[in-house]
Amino acid sequence: MNHIKLLFFATIRDRAGTKSLELEIPADLTIRGLKDKLCADYPNLKESMHSVLITINREYAFDEAVVPSNAEIALFPPVSGG
Amino acid sequence: MNLPTIFSITESEIDLDDLLAKITLTSTGAAAIFTGMVRGVTSRDNPHETVFLEYEAYVPMAESKMKQVADEIRERWPVIEGIALVQRVGRLYPKTPTVLIACTAAHRDTGVFDAARYGIDRLKEIVPVWKKEVGPNGEEWVEGDYIPKPGE
Repeated sequence: MNHIKLLFFATIRDRAGTKSLELEIPADLTIRGLKDKLCADYPNLKESMHSVLITINREYAFDEAVVPSNAEIALFPPVSGG
Repeated sequence: MNLPTIFSITESEIDLDDLLAKITLTSTGAAAIFTGMVRGVTSRDNPHETVFLEYEAYVPMAESKMKQVADEIRERWPVIEGIALVQRVGRLYPKTPTVLIACTAAHRDTGVFDAARYGIDRLKEIVPVWKKEVGPNGEEWVEGDYIPKPGE
C-alpha cells in the first residue's frame, strides 16, 4: 500500500466537505482508479468528476498515470484566476 | 545575464511602482503592463452585479506554474528583460486590482505587448487559482474551461 495526501480546492472542496485527507492506496492504483474510489467514498463528488483537474506533485496528471508513493494529489475545477 | 523574474501569490495590495522598479534594467526602455480588477457591474453576456470576489490558490503549484509561464514568455520573446506576475488572493472588492503581469524590453516594438498578453492568457489557463463571486442574490464559484494537456 502507498500513502498519499489529497488536497481539494474550490467546488471540489465544498462538495467533499474537507480541504485535505490522507489515504492508503494499492501500489498500482491509477488516477482513474483513484477517481473511482473517491466517487464511491464521496458520492457528492460524482458530478464534478467529468471536468475535474488532477495533479500529482504539482504537475497536471491524466487517467492512465500511476499514483506514486507519498504523492501530493490535488483535485480542482478548471482554473479561474486573473 | 541574470534577468529579473518575479512571481508570487499574495494577500497584500499589488504595488505596481515597486514591481516595475524591480524589472527595469539600465537597458530597459519599455514596459507593457496588464492588470485585471474586480468588476462591480458586468454588462456583457450575463449582466450582473458583484459585491466581492473571494480568491483562493493552490499556492506552491500556482507559483511554480507562474514561473513556467515566465519561462514560456522568455522562450517565445527572448528580447524580454524583466517579467513580473502577481496574483492577489482573499476577499477583493470592486475596483481592486487582482492580478498584474508586466514585461519589460529595450523598445516597445519588440513584442513586449504580445508577451504580456500571452502571460495573462496563460495564467488564466494553467495557474491554479479560483474565485467565488458573491453578488446581491447569492454566491457562485467561477469555473474556467481550459483543460491542460500533458506537459503543461
